[in-house]
Amino acid sequence: MTIAPAQTSFTPLDADWRDFFALTKPRVMTLVIFTGLCGLLAAPGHLDPVLAFTAILCIAVGAGGAAALNQWWEADIDAGMKRTRHRPLPAGKMERTSARDFGFALSGGAVMVMGLAIGWLAAAILALSIFYYAWIYTVWLKPRTPQNIVIGGGAGAFPPMIGWIAVTGHITLMPVLLFLIIFMWTPPHFWALALFVQTDYAKVGIPMMPVVAGERATRHQILGYAALLLPLTLVPWWLGFAGEVYGLSALALGLMFLALSAWVGLRRSSGAGDTMKPEKRLFAYSILYLFVLFAMLVVDRVVASYGA
Amino acid sequence: MTDFRSQPLSPAELAAFRARQKSRSRALAVVLLALVVLFFAITIVKIRNQSAMRAAASHPAASASPLAEGK
Repeated sequence: MTIAPAQTSFTPLDADWRDFFALTKPRVMTLVIFTGLCGLLAAPGHLDPVLAFTAILCIAVGAGGAAALNQWWEADIDAGMKRTRHRPLPAGKMERTSARDFGFALSGGAVMVMGLAIGWLAAAILALSIFYYAWIYTVWLKPRTPQNIVIGGGAGAFPPMIGWIAVTGHITLMPVLLFLIIFMWTPPHFWALALFVQTDYAKVGIPMMPVVAGERATRHQILGYAALLLPLTLVPWWLGFAGEVYGLSALALGLMFLALSAWVGLRRSSGAGDTMKPEKRLFAYSILYLFVLFAMLVVDRVVASYGA
Repeated sequence: MTDFRSQPLSPAELAAFRARQKSRSRALAVVLLALVVLFFAITIVKIRNQSAMRAAASHPAASASPLAEGK
């Protein structure tokens, strides 16, 4: 005997909880959680561990909600790219509206809890970051301009700022600097990836820099942003917001980042047989770079508090 | 996209459907339980912080007072 389940709602027939979890882009979330936590730990002041955990949870859930909304909007584009075609929506594992509702529920819930438990300034910036990623980047900029990733990079730059504001309750120059560091880091990080997956973006009509301006211009811009990033990461040290542990680490890490970017920026692809090793190396290093840079900010704070 | 079939499901499909439904329900139960614990903990922390602030407001100079120091 066979029984047909009720077909009255849009309950996804095949979606497992893992599919919903995959909608939140857990790998991207790792960096969001880490930078948010570093902002929180490096900030002057103290936040109760329960509230600190809540703040980080809200940042993570908010980022997950924005990622789900991004995948809801871009399901058709994702289906056309090798890198993204196995995501839950293009793979046909769930109804599109489920992803949308899931995204709105996570985003709204994260902002509400952040506001009630931590403060409404942190909640407002969290809401802005979700709007920035889900609307300004995904809907507006990404399909329209090759500068999409430059301005859209702001979305990923909010977490340390939110973490910092969760502790202090107000915006000062330092959280803005943390925002700017990730903002400036995003183009070389993402364009390194776009250089070795550019055929996919071209296929689905997304005007990524290598597709529109060409590979050479993209390589030059990678080098340009890396050159701007190095002095920017040293500003907290120069202004006395961070000590030598951070400053010297930022200098060493930044010089390495600049060297790898110069390698990518000044070379030319040798054609179809090019394995794009320098670009892949830069992409991998850029992730490590950001992790270590923010970790050093926290280490510097710990060292300073022991020295005081 | 998911195919919302009008045809009845085979026993194997139905079993897989039920298994996924159960896994989603369990995951949701875990999330709701975790939220209950989290909200309870937040409430306790908020009450404790407010009590501490009230105590500080009602005895503003208690710790800094020379009398308090000399007692």
